[in-house]
Amino acid sequence: MMAFGGNIKQVIVEHDASSNAYVQEVCQRLPQNGLIITEHPEEKTERGGDFDPGKEILHLLEYKGEFLKPCPGTKAYICCGYQILNIGTNCPLDCSYCILQSYFNQPHLRVFVNIRKELEHVLNYIDANPDRVFRIGTGEFTDSLALDPIMRWTDFLLPSFSQRKNVILELKTKTGAVNGLVSAPYRDRIVVSWSLNSPYIAAKEEKGAISIRKRLQKAQQLQSEGFVLGFHFDPLILHSGWKAEYLRTIELLDRYIDPKGIIWISLGSLRFMPQLKQIIQKRHPKTEILNGEFIRGLDGKMRYFRPIRTELYHFIRENLEKWYSSLGLYLCMESDVVWHESMGWSPETSSGLRSYLDRRVKLVFG
Amino acid sequence: MSFGFDLDPLIQSIQRIGLINPPVLIEKKEGGLMIITGYKRILAHQEMALDKIGCRIMASDDLTPLECLHINLYDNLTVRKLNPVEKGMVLSRLHAWVAQDEILFQYMPLLGLPSHKQTLVLYLKIEPNLDDAIKGALAGGRLSMQSLKTLMDLDPVSTTAVCSLITNINFNINQQAQLVDDIIDISHIERKSIPDILVEDPLKRMISDPHMNNPQKAKAILNHLRCKRLPTVKKAEQIFKKKVSSLQIPKGVQITAPPNFEASRLTLTISFNNGVQLKDKIRYLNELKGLDDLNFPWKMK
Repeated sequence: MMAFGGNIKQVIVEHDASSNAYVQEVCQRLPQNGLIITEHPEEKTERGGDFDPGKEILHLLEYKGEFLKPCPGTKAYICCGYQILNIGTNCPLDCSYCILQSYFNQPHLRVFVNIRKELEHVLNYIDANPDRVFRIGTGEFTDSLALDPIMRWTDFLLPSFSQRKNVILELKTKTGAVNGLVSAPYRDRIVVSWSLNSPYIAAKEEKGAISIRKRLQKAQQLQSEGFVLGFHFDPLILHSGWKAEYLRTIELLDRYIDPKGIIWISLGSLRFMPQLKQIIQKRHPKTEILNGEFIRGLDGKMRYFRPIRTELYHFIRENLEKWYSSLGLYLCMESDVVWHESMGWSPETSSGLRSYLDRRVKLVFG
Repeated sequence: MSFGFDLDPLIQSIQRIGLINPPVLIEKKEGGLMIITGYKRILAHQEMALDKIGCRIMASDDLTPLECLHINLYDNLTVRKLNPVEKGMVLSRLHAWVAQDEILFQYMPLLGLPSHKQTLVLYLKIEPNLDDAIKGALAGGRLSMQSLKTLMDLDPVSTTAVCSLITNINFNINQQAQLVDDIIDISHIERKSIPDILVEDPLKRMISDPHMNNPQKAKAILNHLRCKRLPTVKKAEQIFKKKVSSLQIPKGVQITAPPNFEASRLTLTISFNNGVQLKDKIRYLNELKGLDDLNFPWKMK
């Protein structure tokens, strides 16, 4: 139940958040043994050296910006038009490839406690645009469920989104923290997604995450409870024996999951801002993820050389389609030419990909 | 607080117009004098075999060590820019007397450095961790701080090996960055130490080849390391280059691939004097043998 809550050693409450009832509820849910609660007047803390992300510190604060934001994406590649509900930043997991590592000028597990109040504005905005399909997720800047046993996001997010017809809420995770989902009565318009990788990469590079088998067993449990599932093969990483390793994951998918209940599966290959490389090398000196042939992409990020990416995508796509032909496969941040070479078709533009995924929403949820 | 300096301009100045500002010394409690500022001026006098120099001498009770440091620092800053080694020396000495936050927010901007803890840590390592040859390269601008920053994370033997290579071959700043990046990656991928890689052939041969000058050596070394680090990319570049050069392309016409073959289109550039010449070139290209097979390298037969 308290998988990641058990690791929290300190809670920092920003001054403006201290009177928030949500903060009191959260603090009561944490194990009290040795827990230090600090009312911190301003957010300047830079803790324990250059690369310490402070993953044992829960930092509760009010977020002053917009809670619903378009995924940053990139103009140079085809993007899916996803919307991010910004519930917090940083993550108790410690994946070697994680882009959040470059945000360490703001360390700690930062969670925004004014979300319950501000959610109303988000919902008003969605209601004001009834003809638009909102695909919204909370798993871009943090894991959607890792801290759910403490934050109980599912208590108020599920009822808010489940009753609206022009939106889906995707909760993306690498954990098994699904109790909040299972105990809630809401299924409509909720997508529960797991990030997948090869079992080798999961074991070696996704510290704190559960194994691929356990992820799929949890997904199976949720599918049997009536939830729609999504999967994200992202980041695909070249490693010794990668074909056999990724096939193992696809075999596990076949063993545990009914493909008819999947709304989409995305494929994305490892990419990173150049400055992240040194951080990864320092924080994960034994990692092999940087060994591939990376070139600077059109968006300035490092990514695998084009024919390598094409081969990766083509292999995964071919084998997933052997399993089931209508999985809503799509590429995350790729070019039209890579779409054609690896998927055999292309949405051509970001708008085309948005329409494709919106159609998947309508197909699955009506 | 001086490192890597050239005494000649100062000697010439003293010879021409004499000493303008006298050095400042302090009487040590245990006897003798210590230079607070003016070390180079005293050295210059020694060099010129002058046995006297006018100095200002302070009593030991007059100044605290931090005040001595301030005199030295501000005396230097008013007349010149400190090199990275000297900045490291200043910060090291301040570190003994001043709180870290004060160093970060008062002294680092004074030295033209950002108020980052990481930067401070890097500069503090320079004086105790680097040998004089590397310090000399850094002070003389032959070794970039950016490369040094990455190299300082390696073991000292590797740091020295790469720094020596950089200074011996005289890689420019961009070349240094590529060299450091590639050699660290290759060491990690091949699980070999950097000094071991540097003594392997053909790298060893390139480094000591008497028939190549330094720019040629730098180019050959970088190309060799890039071929090892990005074999598929380099192979694609070679295939494309070979194909384009096999075509009988007329003068003033260029076919180029996008950087790293990432964008989806190849580019044809035609320069011409007039419409007739353009038509000629287009007609020629239209008839050109082998053009039908031109494609991205991994798609070519």
